[in-house]
Amino acid sequence: MSGTTGAPMVATEAQAMTAPTGAVPPGSPIRRVGVVGAGVMGAGIAAQVANAGIPVVLLDIVAGGAARAVQAMLRAEPAPFMHRGAARLVTAGDLGGDLALLAGCDWIIEAIIEQPEAKRALYAQLDAVRKPGSILSSNTSTIPLAALVEGRGDSFAMDFLITHFFNPPRYMRLLEMVRGPATRAEAVAAISEFADRSLGKTVIPCKDRPGFIANRIGGLWMQSAINRAIDLGLTVEEADALMSRPIGVPKTGVFGLLDLVGIDLMPHVAASMKATLPGTDPYVQGLREHAVILKMIAEGRTGRKAKGGFYTRVKGADGESLKRALDLTTGEYRESETPRLESLSLRDLRAQATHPDRGGRYLRAVLLDLLGYAASLVPEIADSVADVDAAMRLGYNWKYGPFELIDRLGAAWLARALAEDGRPVPPLLARLGEGSFYRVEAGVLEYFGTDGDYHPVPRPAGVLLLADVKRRGQPLARNGSASLWDIGDGVACLEFHSKMNAIDPDTLAMLGKSVAMGKQGAFKALVIHTEGEQFSVGANIGLALFAANIAAWGEIESMVEGGQKAMRALRAAPFPVVGAPSGMALGGGCEVLLHCAAVQAHAETYIGLVEAGVGLIPGWGGCTTMLRRWAENPRAPKGPMPPVAKAFEMISTAQVAKSAFEAKEMLLLRQTDGITFNHDRLLADAKARALAMIEGHVPPETRPLRLPGASGRAALRLAVEQQAALGRVTPHDRVVCDTLAETLTGGRRDHTEETPEAEVLALERKGFMALLRTPATLARVEHMLETGRPLRN
Amino acid sequence: MPSYQAPLRDMRFLLNEVVGLDRLRALPGCEELGPDLIDPVLEEAARFCAEVLLPLNRSGDEAGCVLENGVVRTPRGFPEAYRAFREGGWTALGADSAYGGQGLPKSVGMLVEEMICSANLSFGMYPGLSHGAYMALDRHGTAEQKSTYLPKLVSGEWSGTMCLTEPQCGTDLGLIRTRAVPRPDGSHRITGSKIFISAGEHDLTENIIHLVLAKLPDAPPGTRGISLFVVPKYLPMADGGLGARNGVTCTGLEHKMGIKASATCALAFEEAVGWLVGRPHKGLSAMFTMMNEARLGVGVQGLGIAEVSTQNALSYAKDRRQGRALGGAAEPGQPADAIIHHPDVRRMLLTMRAWTEGCRALSALTALEHDVSLRHPDAETRAEADDFVQLMTPIIKALFTDAGFEVASLGMQVWGGHGYIRDNGMEQFVRDARIAQVYEGTNGIQALDLVGRKLGAHGGRYLRRFFHPVLAFIEAQQDDPAMEAFILPLSKAFGRLQQATAEVARRGLGDPFEAGAAATDYLRLFGLTALAYAWARMAAVALPRQADDQTGFYRAKLATARFFMQRMLPQTSALTAMVMAGGEALRDFAMVEP
Repeated sequence: MSGTTGAPMVATEAQAMTAPTGAVPPGSPIRRVGVVGAGVMGAGIAAQVANAGIPVVLLDIVAGGAARAVQAMLRAEPAPFMHRGAARLVTAGDLGGDLALLAGCDWIIEAIIEQPEAKRALYAQLDAVRKPGSILSSNTSTIPLAALVEGRGDSFAMDFLITHFFNPPRYMRLLEMVRGPATRAEAVAAISEFADRSLGKTVIPCKDRPGFIANRIGGLWMQSAINRAIDLGLTVEEADALMSRPIGVPKTGVFGLLDLVGIDLMPHVAASMKATLPGTDPYVQGLREHAVILKMIAEGRTGRKAKGGFYTRVKGADGESLKRALDLTTGEYRESETPRLESLSLRDLRAQATHPDRGGRYLRAVLLDLLGYAASLVPEIADSVADVDAAMRLGYNWKYGPFELIDRLGAAWLARALAEDGRPVPPLLARLGEGSFYRVEAGVLEYFGTDGDYHPVPRPAGVLLLADVKRRGQPLARNGSASLWDIGDGVACLEFHSKMNAIDPDTLAMLGKSVAMGKQGAFKALVIHTEGEQFSVGANIGLALFAANIAAWGEIESMVEGGQKAMRALRAAPFPVVGAPSGMALGGGCEVLLHCAAVQAHAETYIGLVEAGVGLIPGWGGCTTMLRRWAENPRAPKGPMPPVAKAFEMISTAQVAKSAFEAKEMLLLRQTDGITFNHDRLLADAKARALAMIEGHVPPETRPLRLPGASGRAALRLAVEQQAALGRVTPHDRVVCDTLAETLTGGRRDHTEETPEAEVLALERKGFMALLRTPATLARVEHMLETGRPLRN
Repeated sequence: MPSYQAPLRDMRFLLNEVVGLDRLRALPGCEELGPDLIDPVLEEAARFCAEVLLPLNRSGDEAGCVLENGVVRTPRGFPEAYRAFREGGWTALGADSAYGGQGLPKSVGMLVEEMICSANLSFGMYPGLSHGAYMALDRHGTAEQKSTYLPKLVSGEWSGTMCLTEPQCGTDLGLIRTRAVPRPDGSHRITGSKIFISAGEHDLTENIIHLVLAKLPDAPPGTRGISLFVVPKYLPMADGGLGARNGVTCTGLEHKMGIKASATCALAFEEAVGWLVGRPHKGLSAMFTMMNEARLGVGVQGLGIAEVSTQNALSYAKDRRQGRALGGAAEPGQPADAIIHHPDVRRMLLTMRAWTEGCRALSALTALEHDVSLRHPDAETRAEADDFVQLMTPIIKALFTDAGFEVASLGMQVWGGHGYIRDNGMEQFVRDARIAQVYEGTNGIQALDLVGRKLGAHGGRYLRRFFHPVLAFIEAQQDDPAMEAFILPLSKAFGRLQQATAEVARRGLGDPFEAGAAATDYLRLFGLTALAYAWARMAAVALPRQADDQTGFYRAKLATARFFMQRMLPQTSALTAMVMAGGEALRDFAMVEP
């Protein structure tokens, strides 16, 4: 029976095939896509289309430009392609010679220079070759739709819209969509559907106003944050500290963000806004040229892409990298300083914004600018505050949109504060009075509409959010690290919610409890999913380190054993268990997925057994399962050694799959596991898969492995020696590799006899415990916890 | 009047047999250390303490210090004793030979310190503070500052102080108001009031070097804005002589419960000339290297008092005859039995001895790690040893000073009503011991340091330096039936400490109040377990040697070890229960008017 999949597995895999697995919904009208303009945006959009499995034509005005862009993307970090195969779906060509390639495209995206004349000239060419009924869209961020369709016929205007992607197109989930008065409803629906399901974007309908939603509000925020920092005399570190964590913005804050996107971009954005917005608009009124910034641009200090920006790094006397920051008053660099403001130490946003120090005054001024402006723009730029908030969350990675921020501060407080400063109170804010922009009514999240009534925040069909489930009721079970929720139709969802979703004894207890409850019939299928961006960073190594430091070896051993027991129970569950990860699923988080009957993964899932990075080996069945997967992989060479070599290579180098597709190549996911592009659809897809598996589900049998023993160990050691000769192996790498080799080759057994699974698991435990007792492993764990980076000792 | 004989036998036992001189000799600069070098130092120190310092202890307590016209006079005999102390080279004992020091390791220095504290705690304050100033300047001063001040501090011609406390700030140094204004010549002008300054003004040395915490004009708020300055009483001249009198004056002397011969001064700085030590705004961290050292020193004060009190209680208990032993007359030829035959008196004496010898052993183990942390050629080994010292510092400070007070109080108790009489000297130990629980960071602050700064730091790395060697020791000894009486209780206490440590870490992580609520009980639990380890280490040495024991030293050691294991260590059980109970009862405490 060795080397074949048992009957029960075939049954579940066959069922799995019927569940949604790919990105392209059957019957989608978009079967081939064209992108014109192979700059950062155009090429990135083409890559994401290819990631979704759709053939794409990428043309550039410069001869050979598109082909070069594809080559560059294969080397870029973060990678625009999810796997190398995706690149093969891109047909690169030149606008001059290959225009005809676009004739076969159902959707053509224009992503060329932001000049109306150039775009209109291109549209004339495209209109001549495109097939009837094909849809055309522009990725413009600044030009009104009306100006783009000018001079073209009705049939063009009917097929035309604006689709504004954010950079980088693979990773940013926002798509702003603007339809013209003539745009066909079917075209809007087709692109929305495709962008949503196939490209994984959240489509936000916008009005045809300059900067749409995200850049209009985000641009004003940056402008205000710079102006006020200079006026109130804040350092860049102070401004960034206040413009990040307190308001739920990424830690780059404002000056760090400018360094990231390029400081030279600012004058362009300013000019475009000045040209298109009325002079009375606060955005135009606040436009200012700062001598210090002009000087930076003139000197080419435009940010990370150049020789530094507001921050820069220099080599110190001992060769260490020292962070320096720009003094906004002198324009010179100085040693970077941790900001020390009392306002920063407070927790409550309103308390911070009313603190009398310069940090509090700064925060108040920027928040009044930002939130007053945002509130004045509904319904000018969008019909609902929920759309505005979603755009800011997804387009700028803010934790809260402006209206959610207003609710945190208190709408009435904001209105009073605006009035106190002699500023206009936006009508929408005035109408809200003492209320809030969001409320939960009968378990449903509602937003305050421009009509003065509350409306449910719309969820498209096929979207199931754990956050919505939570609003509706109490969990079936809960502890400090995990909860079990009823997500309807007899399916339960196990959620991790410890810090970074690290797996600790509470998590394991809830895993065990979930299986027990399922056995008792509390539900028919289980999905494992988490609400945040990450699935799980793995076992809580901080706990393990502390326990090791106080020599609590017994506790640690029972945690390793308890983990194995929980994983075995998960795999042996009499009902289907479907893992639904997104983001990082590392170490123990990966091992949870390895023990699920099926996985429905977000395309952006980064899976790996990374234990070697902290001087350990997988101890919760990760070694055992990878051995089995490679042994049972029909494409792998036969014999006891190849699976061991594959597992050894992957685990010893702590390889991480950079997408769900790469995870399949590494067998961390099965070929039959599904991939969902839209994060919001992941839970629903996983639930559908779980429901489809209920009928006739039989857990897999536990079969022994055939492992090579001492001779295999010698071979692996030789391989490590060869790497060591090239200087790639540190002293402790060697210790870890030795322990891993011992575990994977089956200890005292050899290939002439079968090694029971329990024995391999015992070897995992033994190896894990032995490594945890070495000072070098403890140093690695400590270093990882303190710096987030591996220690090469 | 109390007598004192330095416990040289026990000290040699620890150095030669428990710690092992070979470990000390493995360190650079210590290669030559042997009994032939160490013994004369210890013997001479013992003689000096017994003959010169001890006789001044009572008289100094009676006379106290006197402030007249800004000048402080120490008690009669102190200036002469200090001169003899200085001329004997005792101020130079642990200092670097580059500045005229003798370069002896802490392992030896700590024993001498203990003797001084036993003989005359007040006297010990003066050179003790100088050593703190020496450490701060040695670690953080400029080359010029070092060459100006260190040789004079080492020779004892000048003394030092640490000026931290102000009327409005003790523990919370962020509230400091003393200002330092920079001058074009690179110096600063220091203005402000300091209180509780030990050795702030006196007649023992020709100059006093104050190390002063103050704020620069651009200082950030709180503890991150404090800078350290050196402010001499007389400005030193280029030729080493004394220049102008600086703007620092003693405005008052505190009237205290104990250590009355130590001058505790209020100092006024008025435009005093000072120079920055270390980097601007980094004064607190510079002061902390000195403070950690000083905390170990205060722990030794507790030990010193415990030793002298134990000696005098024991001799009294042998001489004093009252009643008959409970099992029948022990000395039928006498009108009454010596009180040492009474079990409760023995309980007191053994408790005193178990604290004293246990603490001395733990201090010897820590002193070795201290030497390793400074002298070992390998950086990693130095860092590991430093971790251990960091971890043990709050434990030694709080545990030893609590023990010092408890032992002094028991010593008074053994003396009965006579212990309460001033002439007999036992009550002075109680009063002198009491300050050690308070200054250099109250013992409550030590407990917070342990749970807040040491327990969770670097994922618990400091703890590793204690837990791993102790477990290794237990595992190595547990198969020896003779050791069972010591290893079994140690291993039980160790398990409790593991459990309590995990619990304090777990609860404290989410809620600092919980860590604070557990802190003092946890520190004592840790301390008792550490003493159990020290006692088990001593027992392991003593066991094979008791057979040929002529003096009874090893038998006594083992008897005390058994007493500690059976009659003191079980407190860890109650302490664990107290820690595990959590802080709820403290949280509920309401401020009700009486």
